[in-house]
Amino acid sequence: MILKIIIGSIVGFVFGYTLQRTGITKYPRVMGLLLLKDFKILKFMLTAVTLSMIGFYTLDSLGVIELNPKPLDWGKLVGGLIFGAGMGLLGYCPGTMLSRIGEGKKDAWLGLLGTVLGILFFALNVNFFKTHLTSKSMSGDISAALGISQWIIVPIAAIVFIGIIYLVNKKVDDFKQNF
Amino acid sequence: MKLKHTKNSEWHWLTGGIIVSVLSMATYVAFQALSYKSYPFGITASFGNIATLFKHPFPGLADNPVIQKYSNSPAALISTTMIFSIALGGFVAAKLNRNYAPELIPAVWKKYHGPGIWKRFIIVLIGGFLLGLGAVIASGCTTGNILQGWAHLSLGSMVAGASFFITGIIIAKILYPKTGGQKS
Repeated sequence: MILKIIIGSIVGFVFGYTLQRTGITKYPRVMGLLLLKDFKILKFMLTAVTLSMIGFYTLDSLGVIELNPKPLDWGKLVGGLIFGAGMGLLGYCPGTMLSRIGEGKKDAWLGLLGTVLGILFFALNVNFFKTHLTSKSMSGDISAALGISQWIIVPIAAIVFIGIIYLVNKKVDDFKQNF
Repeated sequence: MKLKHTKNSEWHWLTGGIIVSVLSMATYVAFQALSYKSYPFGITASFGNIATLFKHPFPGLADNPVIQKYSNSPAALISTTMIFSIALGGFVAAKLNRNYAPELIPAVWKKYHGPGIWKRFIIVLIGGFLLGLGAVIASGCTTGNILQGWAHLSLGSMVAGASFFITGIIIAKILYPKTGGQKS
C-alpha cells in the first residue's frame, strides 16, 4: 500500500511539475495549438512519443515488457471527437487540468467537476455506449494489421514524428504574446 | 534584444519531452513489474476514482460495472494519489519559478469574451463533461491515448488522438475566430 502511494506521488509530482515548467498548462498555449499558431505542445508531445516508442519497442523485444496496443473500435472515433470538443472549450486536458489546479487557476476546479459528471454519465449509460460503440473491435496492433514487421514500422513512425516536429519548428513558440 | 534564459524562462520542449518519455516508460515498466498489467499510465482513471466517491451518497452506484472497475483496480490507490501529486507538482513548479499567478478565468478569455465569469463557468462545466465522457468512451485521454497509445503505435489510439484535434480545432476557431492582436 505504501509502495502504491510512493509510486503515485513520484509519478504525479514529476508529471505535474514538468507540465507546468514546460508551459504546457497555459491556456493561451493550448488554444494556440488548436488555432494552429503555437506548436510547442505538439513538439513536446511528439518528442515524448518518439523517444518512448523506441524505448517501448526495444523493451518489448528484449522481453522486459509487453506492449498493450489499444483496440480499434467506434468508441475511439466518437469518444475522441467528444473529448476534443471538451478540450477546445476548456483549453486543457485532464492531466494539465490537475496541474492547473495546483497553479491556482480556479476555473479548473469546475472543469474537474464536469469531468467527473461526464464519467458518471457514462457509468449510468454504460450498456448503451458498450452496445453501440465498443462491442465490435479489432486488435490495435499495427504491425499485425498491416502485416509489416515492427522493425520497419517503428523507424517509419519515428521519421514521420520527427518530420512533423521539424516542419512546425519554424513557427512561433509563444503565440500568447500576440493572442 | 531579449535574453533567452531568464529565471522565469520555461523549459525547452525537448527537455520536457525527454523527461515525460522517461517517466512514461519507467511507469509502464514499474506497473508491469508489479503486475498491474491492465493499467498503463493514464490520467482518466484518476478522475474515475473521484467518480467512485459518488457511491457513498448514491448507494445504487456501487453495483455499476464502471464504478466497480475503478474501485477494484489494483492501481486505484496509485491513480488516486496522482490527483494530488500532479496538482502539487504544478503548485511547486509555479512557486519555485515565481510564476504562481492565481486567476479565476484565463486572461485571454477575458480579452475576447469579456470579464463576465458565468459564461466561462458554464463553458468549463460543459467542456469538462464532454472531456470526461469522451475520455471514457475512447478509453483514454491525451496521456493514455497519445503519450502512451501513440508510443505503442496502437491503431485505436491513433484514431482517438487524431479525433481530439478535429473537434478541438473546430471549437477553438469558433471561440476565437479572429486572433493575432487585431482586438485589444
